[in-house]
Amino acid sequence: MKVEISRRRFLQGSVALSVAGGAALSSTQILADSKEKSQTLLMKKVPTICEMCVNKCAAIATVKNGIVTKLDPNPYFPKSRNMLCARGAAGIHALYDPDRLKYPLIRTGERGDGQYRRATWDEAYEFIKDKMVKILDEEKDNRSCIGYCAGEGLAEHTYKTFMSDKFGSSNFLNHSTICLQTAVSGYTLTIGGYGQADLENAKYVIMAGANRAEAILTPDTMDMFKRTRGRGMKLVVVDPRFTNTAMHADTYVAIKPGTDLAFVLALTYVAILDQVYNRNYVAKNFVDFDKYQKHILENEYTPEWAEKITGVPAATICKIAHDFMAAAPQAVFYQGRRTTWSKNDFQLRRAMALFTALGGGIDVKGGIVFGKKLPLGEHTATAPMYANAKPRIDKNVAAVVGATGSWVGWRNMVAEGKTPYPIRGMFVYKQNPMLSVPNSAKTKLMFEKMDLVVVIDTMPSDTAMYADVILPECTYLEREDPVQSFAGIEPAIILREKVIEPMYETKPVNDIMRELAQKLTKPLWEITKKYDEDIQAELEDGDEKEVFEEGGFDLAEPFMHSQEETNKHMFVEKYGEEAWLTLREKGVFYPNMSTYFKKIDNNTYQYYPKDKKFYSVLKLEEEFDATAYLHDTCVNPVDIADLKRSFNTPNKKVECYLGSMASKGIDAMPTWKDEDHVKVPAGKFKFITGRHAQFTQNSTQNNIILLELMRENYIWINDKEAEKLGIKFGDTVEVASSIGKVLIKAYPTPKIIPEAVFYIHGFGAKSAGMTFAHRNGASDNEIIEDTIEPVHGCANMHDTLVSLRRV
Amino acid sequence: MNYAMALDYQNCINCKACEVACKEENGVQLGADKQRIWVGVVEGTIFGKPFANLYPAQCNHCIDAPCVSVCPTFASHFAEGGIVKVDAHKCILCKGCMEACPYDARFVDDTMVAVDKCTFCDHRSLEEGGTTACQTTCPTKVRLFGDLDDENSDLVKLLKTKRFFFQKEYTGTLPKLFYILPDDEAYAKQSVSHNTIIHTWADIKPLYDEARTRRSKEWKK
Ligand code: SF4
Ligand code: SF4
Ligand code: SF4
Ligand code: SF4
Repeated sequence: MKVEISRRRFLQGSVALSVAGGAALSSTQILADSKEKSQTLLMKKVPTICEMCVNKCAAIATVKNGIVTKLDPNPYFPKSRNMLCARGAAGIHALYDPDRLKYPLIRTGERGDGQYRRATWDEAYEFIKDKMVKILDEEKDNRSCIGYCAGEGLAEHTYKTFMSDKFGSSNFLNHSTICLQTAVSGYTLTIGGYGQADLENAKYVIMAGANRAEAILTPDTMDMFKRTRGRGMKLVVVDPRFTNTAMHADTYVAIKPGTDLAFVLALTYVAILDQVYNRNYVAKNFVDFDKYQKHILENEYTPEWAEKITGVPAATICKIAHDFMAAAPQAVFYQGRRTTWSKNDFQLRRAMALFTALGGGIDVKGGIVFGKKLPLGEHTATAPMYANAKPRIDKNVAAVVGATGSWVGWRNMVAEGKTPYPIRGMFVYKQNPMLSVPNSAKTKLMFEKMDLVVVIDTMPSDTAMYADVILPECTYLEREDPVQSFAGIEPAIILREKVIEPMYETKPVNDIMRELAQKLTKPLWEITKKYDEDIQAELEDGDEKEVFEEGGFDLAEPFMHSQEETNKHMFVEKYGEEAWLTLREKGVFYPNMSTYFKKIDNNTYQYYPKDKKFYSVLKLEEEFDATAYLHDTCVNPVDIADLKRSFNTPNKKVECYLGSMASKGIDAMPTWKDEDHVKVPAGKFKFITGRHAQFTQNSTQNNIILLELMRENYIWINDKEAEKLGIKFGDTVEVASSIGKVLIKAYPTPKIIPEAVFYIHGFGAKSAGMTFAHRNGASDNEIIEDTIEPVHGCANMHDTLVSLRRV
Repeated sequence: MNYAMALDYQNCINCKACEVACKEENGVQLGADKQRIWVGVVEGTIFGKPFANLYPAQCNHCIDAPCVSVCPTFASHFAEGGIVKVDAHKCILCKGCMEACPYDARFVDDTMVAVDKCTFCDHRSLEEGGTTACQTTCPTKVRLFGDLDDENSDLVKLLKTKRFFFQKEYTGTLPKLFYILPDDEAYAKQSVSHNTIIHTWADIKPLYDEARTRRSKEWKK
């Protein structure tokens, strides 16, 4: 007999999910109970898009009588290849998490202590409005005095449209500078794009630091592990840790953290000195290769030199360089994602891109490819001009600070009181900087200095505990999000449809922005009129209504349509009504899907026929027009050496020498700087962090099913080092850096090099609102020092020295 | 019908999607020790270099299932196609089956007050084009569920072209999880022990056919 819980009680709230008699229940369990009954219940299947991480796998939700009971993979999406990972399958528990934010909250206690009162939406908006009016009045309509940040997601743009385009703040921060900015820009400035490694066809792949078995990336993860172990793809894994990816490698290379650049420079040295690179290709497609060649040879980046720095034997480096070039152009130095490791990260990514390019493996099947993107219609909004809105505060913290800022640089300026004008408030959407930005103590300080902190989220995260107002967003299963087009070898358009109505009083961000905008429009317009001289001038000889409307000062205007209407408009314009029905029915659309898509067996599907995939696209770039894809334009893979390409770089070639960077004080070519390398003194370890396949950063930390797979994080320490320190498995150790200390349990293992220690990111939540995540293990950002690299101001995640002590 | 599964175990990345999908699909009791499916990890070092092998696993739905023979109440039984199941209402939790199972594939479901185990997802896998939750969710597509009786099934077609082995074959239960040996000799050697018996479809078929004929009288329709 199963514990009976009526559907009504279940729907009433979270009680049914909490621990009962030592045995917790899952929502599905409750339903599995009444199998016969449930068949007579109203059942439907809704295509949706997973949001448990950033990959956006296509899923099909089974809904029984209003309750989501199962998420299965939706086979139609070429990027997700008919799979859902552990997190994706556990998405139901994001929806039915008993700790979810259920209604708006207004702070009653001190920042951080978690005291809030329930409020109505209107009260919450009123509260925000009053504060904003006061702040903007005091700051004379400088919109940038309110900063804002967002985590990645399909609705990120909706939020940005409000905060940036309509409200007018320039101080935006997103994940890029605590993630992959240096990698994206290193590749883009060198070969014209970050691209996608074609792991379905590559014959030789070097993965340094990237860990596709544990940091799942679609379709890379699915493609590569069917081809490793003597099945077509030779894999070299370079990592201080023996990861689940290393387990699949033909060659595992243990390397010291922060020295990858020396490793790549030595590979390049061997390729050039031994003339094993593709000379024909380089002659046609490189610019300034002579400079690079001279630079590499004159600096004597020899394998012997690199061995001393990296710990990788010179002979191994020589062999890898030769094997790589022998397999080229079907050879890739995998771009990697995630984070900036150390100060030289931008140069590292450049060197990696150049090394792949030396083999000719760019824009070719089995190399790094750019793919095609299917166009979507436009959804436009008028952005008002605010004369008094100042440029972002952190423009000078690094050589090139883009529109997404430098998280650490920005945060430090605010926390240390060094901003050119006051930053009075912050909006936080779907991000948890308390756990995700290095040096949590400073993030706390930053929030404490602000007059208004608004958090929009689904969970009472550590960051939410610093908010004055918390606005509960509904989860991805309760909303439709903007339709999205995915570029690739097999491009497609996907749609996240609403699976069930939002629970409690939660709302999608489109609605939150609309309602907040409606509240703010009038009072903020008054402030603009009061301080904005341009507007005052316009009003002198113009009609107020006209200036207001034409200037785009109605802040709610882009959000007036429902998401469904906006999506339909953007899609139908390009593909027509019939395709729209297909998209809604299947959740996925691409031209010719009905004839291209084929089931091969229960595990395998064909998305595009072989000859219709977009492997090489650069040559066609000029002839490309928006309707080309409709006529199945495609390029057959060609012999790379025969093709002169037009790269998306300033010189239309692979760029060896970045003169524009040199003028900003950045090395024009990848150069090893010994003084920048953090060396490990005796008695210390270099701390490294990373991901794993059961949690997404800190966003899934309260998910009960995922917590069963990993309850807390452990610190990896080399077994011999542990022995020296008298540390055994499960011992609690104190890990101390120059900025903080944490307590965590130990995992001595031969799978990590002696000079590094590691633990997984995403644990150690302090918010008491997170019943299951609260106090599990340790947060890495409490000990990671807040240094940044010089190009984009990205956080150096692997430059912190720590000491360990058994307690 | 004689249901079985092939596992391309060398694809496994220990992501545990299969475990979560199984729990959600089947309402398996929450708890880290309540698993119908798991990944066996064998790791160590050879000359100081780390290595690891992964063996994704679940109930083997053995043809000569000792758990069925041992059950005093007939709660453990063969369902359609030889799928080994437990009738929760008949189970008295004597745990004899848990002792008898060489694979430790069974556990106590406290909410049902009965033993629980893998069902090969027979509520969804037996329909046309159907498959198990663990198979469909797997990123690297380790599993292939199918019918050993059907010469044209994807499963038999695969088994005919590959070599494979069973876990703990020596217990003689005629398990039906077929572990597909890597074609590459070096990798094949790395992941099996020296006394693992390597099979082909031709050598195993008569044995399994004979057992099937013998035991299938007990199978429910
Ligand atoms: S990889 Fe996993 S969590 Fe990420 S979108 Fe896909 S199923 Fe969801
Ligand atoms: S889902 Fe597949 S890859 Fe992941 S653990 Fe299970 S069998 Fe292995
Ligand atoms: S525990 Fe239940 S199923 Fe197992 S042998 Fe005993 S009665 Fe049979
Ligand atoms: S076949 Fe079904 S019940 Fe068995 S392990 Fe897989 S998902 Fe679980």
